[in-house]
Amino acid sequence: MQDFEFDELIVEAGSEQSPIFRNLKKAFPQVAVTFAEPLGSKGQALLNCRDPFGKRKKGLFLQRHKGDFLKKCPGSEGQVCCNYFVINFASNCPMDCSYCYLQEYLADNPALKVFSNVDDLIAEAERMLGQHRRFFFRIGTGEITDSLALDPYIGFSREVIPFFAEQPNVLLELKTKSDRVENLLSLDPKDRVVVSWSMNPQSVIDRDEHLTASLDERISAALRCQKAGYKLGFHFDPMIEYPGWEMDYRAMVERIFASVDERRIAWVSMGVLRNTPGLKRIMRERFPSTRLLTGEQVLCPDGKMRYFQPLRVEMYRKMLRWIRAASPTVFVYLCMESKEIWKQVFGFAPSCEKELGRQLANFGF
Amino acid sequence: MPDSDQKTLLELAEALKLGENHFRDFFDWFEEIALRDGGTLRQVLERKTLSRILSDPRLGRSDKLKCLKEEMRRLRFPRLARIEQEIQEQIRDLKLGPQIQMNVPPGLEGGALTVQMRATHFQELRRLVAELDKALEKDGVKRIFALLSGEEGNAGL
Repeated sequence: MQDFEFDELIVEAGSEQSPIFRNLKKAFPQVAVTFAEPLGSKGQALLNCRDPFGKRKKGLFLQRHKGDFLKKCPGSEGQVCCNYFVINFASNCPMDCSYCYLQEYLADNPALKVFSNVDDLIAEAERMLGQHRRFFFRIGTGEITDSLALDPYIGFSREVIPFFAEQPNVLLELKTKSDRVENLLSLDPKDRVVVSWSMNPQSVIDRDEHLTASLDERISAALRCQKAGYKLGFHFDPMIEYPGWEMDYRAMVERIFASVDERRIAWVSMGVLRNTPGLKRIMRERFPSTRLLTGEQVLCPDGKMRYFQPLRVEMYRKMLRWIRAASPTVFVYLCMESKEIWKQVFGFAPSCEKELGRQLANFGF
Repeated sequence: MPDSDQKTLLELAEALKLGENHFRDFFDWFEEIALRDGGTLRQVLERKTLSRILSDPRLGRSDKLKCLKEEMRRLRFPRLARIEQEIQEQIRDLKLGPQIQMNVPPGLEGGALTVQMRATHFQELRRLVAELDKALEKDGVKRIFALLSGEEGNAGL
């Protein structure tokens, strides 16, 4: 996977004392640093250019995060929820998947930002975990950014893993499409950290997951993490339907399970491509030749477009069969799907979000 | 979009007096079909099923628009349209009276078959329930549920 390069590092006054800034300076000694206060005008300048979402890759903003770091994952209306919490340590992603929902979600605020006040993040997590010791948390950092793509430059994992490794009631999930796991390998996760990959066949990666690690690189990174004591997760999400998808996805599933120790896999999820009509317009503008726009998607009650139900249920069933053939016991769940779909795929649906969350925590732990 | 495609789309919009929403649907579907099948918008429009509708002198503007939209949807969503059509055929084959209606949701999302009965007195309702019960003995309803639940091969994968 190639290194990311930035033209400019824009640092909000007050962030220059943070370990993240020190790490960035070390990683990019040649990159010009601009100290600015406030950052609003810089961000606005980005919005005025053509393809602001693409342009934002050239500059990296470092600033303090002013709100709460920890949030409940919003899930999707009417769909089975897995009771997940998210930590936003950064906003936006240096990679450029053509289906990425951030293109719409962050359209008004596309700057690539990293938050400098990691000490506040840890203090907030400590408070919440301490106040609810009887509740087992699953917390992920990959909701509005990739958990590891920037890690070699910002060293976020080195700041937070030692903290989470000591907590009795949490699993931290680092979700990525990169292979940048080098910082993780010298840390002891103490069974509290799951490193997970969003997986797609190489043909999908080539067409629609720009600037991400190849399938080989992702599997190789997973192996390194497994050897270093991490639990693993695999998210077959978004699954893409195209002529020949079955052969590609089946081969990928077989390769993954032949490569890693299935006993180290905390969970596997499945989810098909989903986008809002608004995101579709953005995709059409930014990636006019992507075939993702030609699938037989229909608008679902939660406002997202998915492959029509019989088609995607059939896709899930086939994937599940290939996964089960490779590993009869690994925990598999669906992301952002209704109880009806769960029943059609698995023959049952979780009774409530707590049940699914508990099952995931049990398997992860 | 090439100039020739823009011209084609404009001509269609003018001929059918398309409103903004219809125009957007047509535009998206034309473009997506062309991208999927590797052709131009003009080539999509020149397909027999579409050109036949456009040149049919018996159809007025609104009928043309309706037929064209249905055909475009069939072209854009071929497997979905095929399943929807088979479900409608299965419902028809049940030969239920007009007081019993069976429907599936648009786009088949939700996977439910809705059955509606309309009765004005108790005996009539009893008769309708018996009629429905008899229909359930045929394989048609089972087939509808199999189609809705994506049983192996139904979606044409």
